[in-house]
Amino acid sequence: MVTQHGIKYAVLLITTHFGDLVAKVCECLLRKGPLTLQAIVRFTELTSSQVKNSLLVLIQHNCVQAFILEQPGSHGDGAKLNSQYIALFNNIIHRWRFPKFLTIVSQKLDKQCVELIEALLLHGRLTLKQMSDRAKSAQNEGDDVILDAVREAFIKLLNAHFVERCPAAEPVLTKPTEEETSARKRVPKSAKILEGKETLEQRVLEAATPSEALRFLLVTRTEPAADGGKDENNSSSMTVGKKRKLDALESETEGEATDEQVVLWRANFEEFIRRLRHKAFIENVRACLDDGAVIVISAMLEATRTAEKKVKTENSVPLSLNSIYEEVIKSEEGRNITFDRVRASLVQLSCPPFVKAVNESYSIDFKKIIELAQNDEVESIVLKRYGRDAYRMFRLLSSTARLLETDKIADTAFVEKKDTTKILYKLWKDDYLHMEKLQLTGARQSQFLLWKVNKNTLWEHVLDEMFHAALNLSLRVAHELEQEKELLNLPQDKRVNRLRKVRLLLESSQMKLDDAIMLFHDF
Amino acid sequence: MSRLQGPNALKRKRPGATSDSLTEHERIVHDVIQGKQDMGISQRDMKREINLPDNLVTKCLKSLLAKNLIKEVKNIQNRGRKHFISAEFEPSNEITGGAWYVEGSLDTEYINVLKEQCWRKIYGLKVATLEGVTDAIKRSNVSQIELSKQQIEEIVKALVLDNEVMEVKSSGTGEFASIPVGKVCYKCIGKRGYGGEPKVGTMASIPCGVCPQISHCTPDGIISPKTCVYYKKWLDF
Ligand code: SF4
Repeated sequence: MVTQHGIKYAVLLITTHFGDLVAKVCECLLRKGPLTLQAIVRFTELTSSQVKNSLLVLIQHNCVQAFILEQPGSHGDGAKLNSQYIALFNNIIHRWRFPKFLTIVSQKLDKQCVELIEALLLHGRLTLKQMSDRAKSAQNEGDDVILDAVREAFIKLLNAHFVERCPAAEPVLTKPTEEETSARKRVPKSAKILEGKETLEQRVLEAATPSEALRFLLVTRTEPAADGGKDENNSSSMTVGKKRKLDALESETEGEATDEQVVLWRANFEEFIRRLRHKAFIENVRACLDDGAVIVISAMLEATRTAEKKVKTENSVPLSLNSIYEEVIKSEEGRNITFDRVRASLVQLSCPPFVKAVNESYSIDFKKIIELAQNDEVESIVLKRYGRDAYRMFRLLSSTARLLETDKIADTAFVEKKDTTKILYKLWKDDYLHMEKLQLTGARQSQFLLWKVNKNTLWEHVLDEMFHAALNLSLRVAHELEQEKELLNLPQDKRVNRLRKVRLLLESSQMKLDDAIMLFHDF
Repeated sequence: MSRLQGPNALKRKRPGATSDSLTEHERIVHDVIQGKQDMGISQRDMKREINLPDNLVTKCLKSLLAKNLIKEVKNIQNRGRKHFISAEFEPSNEITGGAWYVEGSLDTEYINVLKEQCWRKIYGLKVATLEGVTDAIKRSNVSQIELSKQQIEEIVKALVLDNEVMEVKSSGTGEFASIPVGKVCYKCIGKRGYGGEPKVGTMASIPCGVCPQISHCTPDGIISPKTCVYYKKWLDF
């Protein structure tokens, strides 16, 4: 879902990171969908070289992907084989999350890895050689020591899937489908991803992503410098000899001798989002169940993570009680937990239904956890904006998922009839409810009002308001910083103190709000 | 209205009542009201139905009230309007709103007491079936009036809507051991006590998340995050 305020939020970020020119090109692509260079020049009224440079920046930072769309029957027609550029909304928004990504790495890996990933986030894409050059200039140890250290850290990141090979620069797509042609003409208002159907963006990304085997593969001329013992775990690195065999299958690789210099790497956002998603599951369980349940669900996530093919997975792969227990006792907190305690926690986890049990194996119902968390968020807005009575009425409608008549709502939610109509009307006016009029001829009360929560449209509306709120938070931070310069009449320490508190509140709210955005957009 | 009775009902005499002492006009008015049985009739509708001058109808109503042949009731559909019913009938639920209404308004105090009591029973039972709650309430004499299982169900459902209690199906194991598999039961929600606020969501904790003006708010408009009063209050350090 790319909403109006989502685009504004993305553009604000690109403006602060890369300036107005780049932002203009980016906004043009976000609003109009994929375009050729000439079309961007026409729409933005910038010069061709300005646009080209902006695109290079955006591509370097993984915010834009180039591709070639081969139109059927256009053979020999050079004009039709022009490169097009598509803005990657998700990757742009991920830029707000870099601090979160860094935290994840710092919790799992050492300082060297954190520095490496920091460099990748800062520069977008780097070769291994560039990474070690950077490290060299920062320190003054012997070259070999640094190189080995960098490579070792890099392999750790690669094994954790925190980094990946960059996608192909310009994949060729053939035979556009009906859906694509309409997607290309999309206007922002209707620019939502239809569930189930592949959009052009998804197809481009799919075509550009290196195969699973290659994506996390580092080719080295010798065995990696890490200790021999560790090497067995380094499934991601491979010597040239082994790789040649692979080359026979993978035609997309380049000359192996220069891999360190030519292969570009970047942070793997997908893995970071998956980890954040898992973290959100754990937090949700923590909010309503005890520590035992938290330990069990964490263990289940740990054991099944690698089996997840995409971020928006609906269930974890089923695990037997034994394998869950095995994973539980691997962690420090899990060590003193008994088998029976795990069993009891699994029962707890089945109501609310976080975990499903089928034939003695257990699988986490991701979809349900997300659904419940989304409901909580929206209901909490209703409670705060419209009060207790509205909260009950909204929960009734949201759980029934069909049309209910005003009187029925009043009776079930214990609200006075005339207040019920007023509240429902207010919710409807603010797009929280869907209303239908039922005309009955003959009877005296001839008109009934029926109400319903339409989750698809409401969730999109809420997400747009979230983007709007996030946009406002960042605008306010900028405004406060500007104000600071003008408030010179206040004593300096007082000013600094106030600004510190203001920024802390605004920025921490923004990070929290971003969690909620992920809940509705990325999970 | 659909409850309008045929001519037979109109002629039916109220047992023991001496309607002989009524004037002709009073009798007409009384017959119309009586004909509506437990639905009664509003003064306005009556004036439309009876072909008598307004002030005469009013006078008749007064004397019928004085003779205790009719009574005035509150109609929840329209509390401001005068509504009459023949003395031998109890007003129907459609008029009174049912057991949860007194004098035409929702008896929130009574409902809230019952809600809290039901919550306490469920809390005490850990996992409770509807029958379990009904029994517990009966034994505790919380309510002077005997409450039916259906009424308790209405209360418990309201607790579910309040997010104080959740509805679950028995799995037959663990805490559900004494309850048949698949039976609907109720449990108190996690860690908070009765009447506690549900967890405040992210949007609900920032000004824009609950702002009534959000659809009018733009970066450089009259309503904007730079000039916003809600922010000013929020950031008042
Ligand atoms: S900035 Fe102020 S006016 Fe605008 S949406 Fe937020 S709270 Fe409302």
